[in-house]
Amino acid sequence: MDQEILGEIVDFALSSGASYAEARYHSIRSFTTYILNNQVLGASYGDSEGVSIRVLVNGGLGFASTSIINKENLIDTVKKAISAARASSMSRRKPITLSPERPSRIKYRVLEKIPLNSIPDEDKIDELKDIVKSVELNRGPMKVTSYTVSYEDNVEEKMIINSEGALVESIIPRVEVFYNISASAGDRNANRWNQLGVTGGLEALKNMNLHDVIDDDVNSLYINIVKAQQLPSKSRMDVVLSPEIVALSTHEAAGHPSEADRVLGREAAQAGLSYRRELKEGYKIGSEHVTIIDDPTIPGSYGFYLVDDEGVQARPKVLIEKGVLKELLHNRETASVFGVNSNASARAMDYRSEPIVRMSNTYLAPRDYDFEELVEDVNEGIYMKKYMEWNIDDYRWGARYVGLEAYYIKNGRIMHPLRNVVLEITTKEYYSSIDAVGKDLTFYAGTCGKGEPPQPLPVWMGGPHVRLKNVEVK
Amino acid sequence: MSLVDDIVKSVRDKVDEYLVSVRESKKFMVKLSNSEVTVVQSWIEYDVSLYITKNERIAVTSYTSRDPREAIAKTATLIDKLEKSPLYAKLPEPNGETLNYMDEDIIDIIENGDIENVIGGLELNNYQGLSGAIDLTAWKSTLKGSNGAEFNQMGTSFNGYVRIFRGEVSGQWAWTSTSYDLNMAKRAIQVAFELADECSKLPMEKVDPGRYRVLLSPMVVANLISHVVASASAGSVILGFSFLHGYKPGDSVASHVLTLRDAPRDRSMPDFSGHDDEGIITRDKAIIENGVFKGFLHNTKTARLMKEETTGNAGWILPRPFNVLVEPGSLKPSEMLEALGDGLYITNNWYTRFQNYLEGRFSSVTRDALFIVKNGRATACSSRVRISDLMPNLLYAIEDLGSEVWPIQWWEVETPSKVPFMLVSELGITRPEI
Repeated sequence: MDQEILGEIVDFALSSGASYAEARYHSIRSFTTYILNNQVLGASYGDSEGVSIRVLVNGGLGFASTSIINKENLIDTVKKAISAARASSMSRRKPITLSPERPSRIKYRVLEKIPLNSIPDEDKIDELKDIVKSVELNRGPMKVTSYTVSYEDNVEEKMIINSEGALVESIIPRVEVFYNISASAGDRNANRWNQLGVTGGLEALKNMNLHDVIDDDVNSLYINIVKAQQLPSKSRMDVVLSPEIVALSTHEAAGHPSEADRVLGREAAQAGLSYRRELKEGYKIGSEHVTIIDDPTIPGSYGFYLVDDEGVQARPKVLIEKGVLKELLHNRETASVFGVNSNASARAMDYRSEPIVRMSNTYLAPRDYDFEELVEDVNEGIYMKKYMEWNIDDYRWGARYVGLEAYYIKNGRIMHPLRNVVLEITTKEYYSSIDAVGKDLTFYAGTCGKGEPPQPLPVWMGGPHVRLKNVEVK
Repeated sequence: MSLVDDIVKSVRDKVDEYLVSVRESKKFMVKLSNSEVTVVQSWIEYDVSLYITKNERIAVTSYTSRDPREAIAKTATLIDKLEKSPLYAKLPEPNGETLNYMDEDIIDIIENGDIENVIGGLELNNYQGLSGAIDLTAWKSTLKGSNGAEFNQMGTSFNGYVRIFRGEVSGQWAWTSTSYDLNMAKRAIQVAFELADECSKLPMEKVDPGRYRVLLSPMVVANLISHVVASASAGSVILGFSFLHGYKPGDSVASHVLTLRDAPRDRSMPDFSGHDDEGIITRDKAIIENGVFKGFLHNTKTARLMKEETTGNAGWILPRPFNVLVEPGSLKPSEMLEALGDGLYITNNWYTRFQNYLEGRFSSVTRDALFIVKNGRATACSSRVRISDLMPNLLYAIEDLGSEVWPIQWWEVETPSKVPFMLVSELGITRPEI
């Protein structure tokens, strides 16, 4: 993308009445292949490329985008954004303002140890197929009825220029794998889908240990379908949660409610509100063992970036510290409302999308317990290792996680497996009941949903094993 | 030479079969929160897709730029290196039609960025906390294929949703159409306001976990039925995401009062089309009729695998629904709470997730007003419980349906849907105990 042209259209926006203007060139080029029951279904290329313009005029926000990148059309797009912002300003009681920030000027790219373009795409298909085929699917009476694996690598390239002097160029390559396994034995059936994702090059596929991960998931299905018993009745007991479930709950029950635009109601009709509308910074929501951080700067992470899509330098953000609510996730608009600085949480999915407040890599910080130590102090309890069903209300207060693979614990020993154990719990009870946190921080890839039009975005979610004291399971 | 012809020329000698699709859309969206405009967005989009086969191998490419040469060249090279696809089927003889529906008012509003005609008449200041989004789209599509398919369609849409708060409680409603009719937006605002207002005047009570008679609003019905329709796609069966996987046409799958249709010919609904993505003519069809399963949605690929006929529901790789219709029943609006008697009236939900797609075990969280009804009267309001059950249980427990269908499309209902209220004799409800 020609930096001069982007600069000129920002200048044109200012001369047309904008008090702030931002132009973002944004492309994502992807390669994807699909394997169904060990046969290659096909392959596809995707190429999304365009420019977005965002402007403030008289306190109204306007956004327009186009995939036709020539100066004449870009000028037209600026005019549309200006017109949209003017229209927007007329209904506002208070003008939108942006927090003052030091504009970043940086050019960076994530290094690929083995570049994505270093081998032909058909070789990637062969490599994936070899891994996928090597997994033993049928176990005992359990038969796998459907086994789908997709692989995608993509390169996201951005150039962001704003009227305050920011100039940010970035290139971020990603590799992701998604799969679903369906299996049955007798009248029992179960699914397991899973997603793995990182930034980096083809070395990522090797580092994913894909064979072992899929193999372990097939084993979880076998346990769920063939071995597991129902929990006889609901009762209160200790629960040890795996990093996979802690990671998800961290994203859902701590990350989303910390989004300042959600607190302000900007997403009220879509993804909902937040308990942090009422519970302010300083409120004790959990035990001293709970510290939760969102950090876009973790090398290799799926939600990696160094500067956000408003040109603000990224840093780790502590959302909960020792059980106490701390900072929210901000972009410049919400930071201005709260009278703070942006903490660089503005992300846009592609050139068609406005930057809004998003998570990056959100995790519960590890402490000092081994897994065995967490279990050995449990007289009677549950170990939940993997989930399938989950959801949370639009205040992020009442959540539900259902175990695909779970076990009964008796006198500090893991006993027989349990089928579809349910943990349905409020956020406060969940974080307050954590009495021990493991040291084994593990990250999981996810695609976070938010925005209108929807903007699915890559994130990591992380956590170690934790132990909940005396909570209800059913 | 047109963009489509340009693509055809660059690919036709390199492959056995091709389909080219170009969709040009102009969109205008107003987002609202706290009864103010938060952002106005405007898009001009070109979405170009190319499907090619060679020696029964399949490759697809999609791009947004108007210069597809590099992407096409890469795809045409890659296809020689692929394997025969287990999904491959020869492209069918096209017999589709062109359907158009253009509303000039929508085109004018988009062209002029005319926000006054979008929100001017909605009296936003009369509402304390109104949030939502209003979307207007005008589109043109072209499909051209080596099988002789050549169709040009045009359409418009006007849809949106609003959520209104009264203190701590709220109501939400949506609409969708191919015509600009501000009365639809006004009606949605009115319904959302009334739900919030009525809830705010009632005492708040907790709902104990258990099994309840429930009345589901069209917002809830559209969301839950979308998962039934997804399960009826043969693609979901093949990929292991369908609780209908063991059924065949003629099997009973639901209460006799349920008739569920895919309605591509309904030009009042935004996803109408006279042809599918392979050029086959679309037809309105029952998926479930009077409780009896009528068949899966197919393209030629899934039809070949499952030894059935295409139903004119092709996406290029897997089948898809167009518009969803649930036939109305006998319940008049004034009779619904009385018919419910004792139970819960659930007005909205979100976050429907499956523990087990094959068995249909799911849960979904209610949001906005939830009414506790006793003797046909709402006596208290509640919120944020969880519907937790099996899809087959829900379908068999449908007791009656409302006499009016509502056009619904919003953040949690992607496919345009016309659905009525639904009275369900028994449904599992859970929530955190503390």
